[in-house]
Amino acid sequence: MEQLAVKMQQITKIFGGVKANDAVNFSLRRGSIHGLLGENGAGKTTLMNVLYGLYQQEEGTIEINGHEEKISSPIKAISLGIGMVHQHFMLARPLTVVENVMLGKKSRRGILLDTKQTAEELKALSDRYHMGIDPYSKIWQLSVGEQQRVEILSAIYLGAQILILDEPTAVLTPQETEIFFDTLRKMRSDGKSIILITHKLEEIISIVDEVTVLRGGKCVGSKLVDDSVTKDELTRMMVGRDVLFNFPPVTKAPGGVRMKMENLSAVNDKGVTALKNFSLDLREGEIVGLAGVDGNGQKELCEVLTGLRPNSGGRMLLDGEDITAQNPLFYIRHHISHIPEDRHATGLAMNWSLKNNLILKRLDQAPVAKHHLVQGKVVDELWQKAQSEYQIKAISGDDEARNLSGGNQQKVILAREIDSDPRVLIANQPTRGLDVGAAEYVRSKILEARNGGTSCLLISADMEELLQLSDRIAVIYGGELMGILPRGTDPLTIGSLMMGKRLEGAEA
Amino acid sequence: MWSEVFSLGFLVSLLAGTIRLATPILMPALGQIYTQRAGILNLGVEGTMLMAAVCGFSVTAATGSLWFGFAVGVLTGALYSVLMAWLSVSLRVNQVIAGIGMNILATGLAAYIYRLIFGIRTLPAKIVPFQSLDFFGLSKIPYVGTVLFNHNILVYIAFALVPITWFILEKTTFGLKIKAVGEHPRAADSKGISVSGIRYAAVIIGGAYAGAGGVFMTIAYLNMFTESVIGGFGYIAVSVVIFARFTPGRAMWGALLFGFASALQVRLQALGSGIPSQLLLMLPYILTVVALIFASKKAEFPSAYTIPYSRMER
Amino acid sequence: MKNKLVRNAGREVFGTVLMVIVALLIGAILVVLSDNQPGEAYSTMLRGAFGSTQKITELFVKLTPTLIMALGVSVAFRAQLWNIGAEGQFIMGSICSMVVALYLPVPIPLRMVIAFAAAVVAGGLWAGLAGWLKTRFNANEVITTLMFNYIANYLLLYLINGPMQDPYSDLSQTDLIPDGMRLAKLIGTYRLHAGIFLMLLVVLIMIFFWRTTLGYRINLVGQGEKVATYSGIHVKQTVVVTMCISGAFSGLAGFIETFGINYRLLDGIAGDAGNIATIVALLGSLNVYGIIAAAMFFSVLLCGGASMQRMTDVPYSVVDVIQGLIIILVIAKDTAMARLNTWFGKLFARKEKEHVE
Repeated sequence: MEQLAVKMQQITKIFGGVKANDAVNFSLRRGSIHGLLGENGAGKTTLMNVLYGLYQQEEGTIEINGHEEKISSPIKAISLGIGMVHQHFMLARPLTVVENVMLGKKSRRGILLDTKQTAEELKALSDRYHMGIDPYSKIWQLSVGEQQRVEILSAIYLGAQILILDEPTAVLTPQETEIFFDTLRKMRSDGKSIILITHKLEEIISIVDEVTVLRGGKCVGSKLVDDSVTKDELTRMMVGRDVLFNFPPVTKAPGGVRMKMENLSAVNDKGVTALKNFSLDLREGEIVGLAGVDGNGQKELCEVLTGLRPNSGGRMLLDGEDITAQNPLFYIRHHISHIPEDRHATGLAMNWSLKNNLILKRLDQAPVAKHHLVQGKVVDELWQKAQSEYQIKAISGDDEARNLSGGNQQKVILAREIDSDPRVLIANQPTRGLDVGAAEYVRSKILEARNGGTSCLLISADMEELLQLSDRIAVIYGGELMGILPRGTDPLTIGSLMMGKRLEGAEA
Repeated sequence: MWSEVFSLGFLVSLLAGTIRLATPILMPALGQIYTQRAGILNLGVEGTMLMAAVCGFSVTAATGSLWFGFAVGVLTGALYSVLMAWLSVSLRVNQVIAGIGMNILATGLAAYIYRLIFGIRTLPAKIVPFQSLDFFGLSKIPYVGTVLFNHNILVYIAFALVPITWFILEKTTFGLKIKAVGEHPRAADSKGISVSGIRYAAVIIGGAYAGAGGVFMTIAYLNMFTESVIGGFGYIAVSVVIFARFTPGRAMWGALLFGFASALQVRLQALGSGIPSQLLLMLPYILTVVALIFASKKAEFPSAYTIPYSRMER
Repeated sequence: MKNKLVRNAGREVFGTVLMVIVALLIGAILVVLSDNQPGEAYSTMLRGAFGSTQKITELFVKLTPTLIMALGVSVAFRAQLWNIGAEGQFIMGSICSMVVALYLPVPIPLRMVIAFAAAVVAGGLWAGLAGWLKTRFNANEVITTLMFNYIANYLLLYLINGPMQDPYSDLSQTDLIPDGMRLAKLIGTYRLHAGIFLMLLVVLIMIFFWRTTLGYRINLVGQGEKVATYSGIHVKQTVVVTMCISGAFSGLAGFIETFGINYRLLDGIAGDAGNIATIVALLGSLNVYGIIAAAMFFSVLLCGGASMQRMTDVPYSVVDVIQGLIIILVIAKDTAMARLNTWFGKLFARKEKEHVE
């Protein structure tokens, strides 16, 4: 009696000569939760964008509920009962919830908006699923979790029977994730079919009925998920080899305090306090991991530490010297390195050559510049050295940064930030969006810097990464330090601090 | 002369002038609200207005029909702005440069068209422009009549467009789509809205409104065409939109402010105030800068302002 | 590896030249529409530009302010600052240097130096003000620099009709500057003057400028505020400095035109120079050598265009239209070329397929 809600066969999608999907097969059983697993760049999102009509496949067929369909646009997909919640929310922030929902449907009043009627229906639906969404609130007023619920509500309102969720838990704490999974199970029992795009193995094991693994644009295989499925097995399918979780051993115990943050406070772009009385010490040759759900003040902290944002209170000391509230150049000269969260807009000048990107921060330092002239020869040598040492895959140093893959871009940043002999390294999400191999490399470099005596602050949303690398783990919530935990702490304890539970007798 | 400045007669003619001179700024400003809300900064309004001014004028001169000329002016504005839409939406070039290019091209094209149609002449070609309505005698009401009810029909059309524009933006699906493609084009795209289609429409509507403002100058405010007839009104309209924070109601007040500055300049000159005319002529331009200074910090620009959209790029 | 970059540069130049040719062809259509022979029009244009020694010297007379202003504009454009107020900066430079020349009671050589400095500073400050308004109030520099053009123009009109008007004339102009202050003529009575050496100096400076740390910083600001701030650059300060440098060039051009050609202030001294500077900078891809080539081309177009208007019935506005078309075609070039490539690519691919079948 089982029937397929979706059957995609031999799907090929090409971008500029590169096959993002190469003859991929994918089947979704009705009333099931199906995991789509793969590394970044494996083609998961591309495949789902094809199903949702955002892209058109070059080859292959799609059947929805047994009928072959040509999904030429999202409108068509929606009419077929397909809904999609993207990784980056597709919500216009100054508009209200109901306005965002109305964008996806025909108005019952012709060219006029049917705001009132739609809002009432949304409210009813929200109440039935206990989502607690006010249709008239503006998106920017909602928390990330609420926005996600708006997306799901909107998809269901528009009649979705097949729901595609792209990395939905990336923005949630472990506890929020559990609640979210309960909702998914409820929806499954309502007969809805759900596709969960993810690269987290725990999620596959805990909620998914069946999993399809993609690697390098190709389908590696599908499996029903039962107790016999192990993480190692899935990892091998996903990566094509065993991942090394062994990093070079810690050679030195942390030394004395190098950087001291005392009661740092700061406001965000909207003028709201985003960092409150934050105090933390970084010792020589130590990695302090900073855990927290995105948007809890991590970005503001990094910016305060590197002079990109003024602090509204507190002070910071570097080897006893007060270095509070200076300009960015001051911190650069004091060897405080920064791997920013946003590679594209902050970390690199995308239209600049790679070698020029290496000297971004040294434009007026000898030997790069002499007599106010940039020394081309010196820059060339720097590039040669960096390219071989960091294994940057590029045609030449004159190539523009935008032409590189994410991993190689990050290597350029690493070469610049770590090679400048940093006393402190602030790494904000250094492996986000990188494939497993590149991420592994970045981690090993950070560990190398630590063993060389650099004090590192590692901000990451990847719990596994934090557990592996950190000597201590600090947790931030709502801009406040919730507590500092030793190496080897249980992830659930960290999770509860990430939810705002303060550690008893916290150091802070 | 200062006693004359404070006389009622002066005030009345000043206010009447304010409304009349607000019109050629109000029309393009309202149009640019659509365009800018959709995320496109069209600095080519100036050239669009110039093209409409010359084409509308030529048609009126040839046919004797003011309405035909007006319609051609609006159509010219719409058609010329297709070029801007093509450059900014389809080719995704830098909008500032595209706008500047549009204006330089229009300067040449307008002069060329005028020369082609009217030849070399010592005196400019003239037409009989739109005349003031008198609204069944309402214009005879002392003072108020002169200020409010003694204008030509295009002035009333411009002011009628204020609530119409507001209604379209706030109450229709089209308005919602315009705001969506300006704020989050990817979201709009994922909901099945054609981002390019809506942006094209927003630019072209903006162009049509600008065309109306441009042709107003040659067949309603003046009765002839000169190459400097627009004189920066297009750029002023763009800054009025920012000043008005992208809402039609505030744009009306912005346009009236500029109308007032222009009218003050005209009235004081007519009076022979002793203030050199060249300095008075600077007034609207200085006011534009001042308005920008006060408005720009507060303005919440659409998130995708001046950013081209491509489905393939993140 | 280097080859790829050379090939890219070659493709860039080829595309630009192709677009200029397209603009000239469309110009030819307009010539036909105005009942003239395009062949005759363009040959008149060429003769007007190269026909005699005197005409060739005129090319350099035109080239001097065009090149200097375009290089100045390119400094701002590299930082993504859209300074389209070169015209106003030129006028302010002219006015201030003239005030010094006519009224400052110091010996002539010293007065000359001060006049020069006044022009450069005035042009720089007039642009720098727009830069400051941008950093301080977020006021769009396109609109402010443009409004400053109108204001400078009316200020000029006011001065030549009022306080600075030549007391012995009814015309709207100032008195002439003393003979000793005029830039020396180089060849007999031809207008070619010593200002050309200033132009060469500017070119030399600009070749080095983009290798200086300041040049790098300006470029980096053009890459985005975030990455520039992250790299330790004081963005606001750099924006103002960039605008000042950019305006100083136009101020300098104002000085050169006033002391080398006009010898006085009069209406319309800037002409279309601001727009032309913008087009030349973009046509030259903001690259010093590209701008030199573009400026030379425009000197020919402008000088030739003027004589075409004198000798034939072709309206000068055709030249304006060609300018407008060039700027639009050049900015559309990259995408248009890419589309052409895929289009040709598809065409050939289809043919190959046919062969196979």
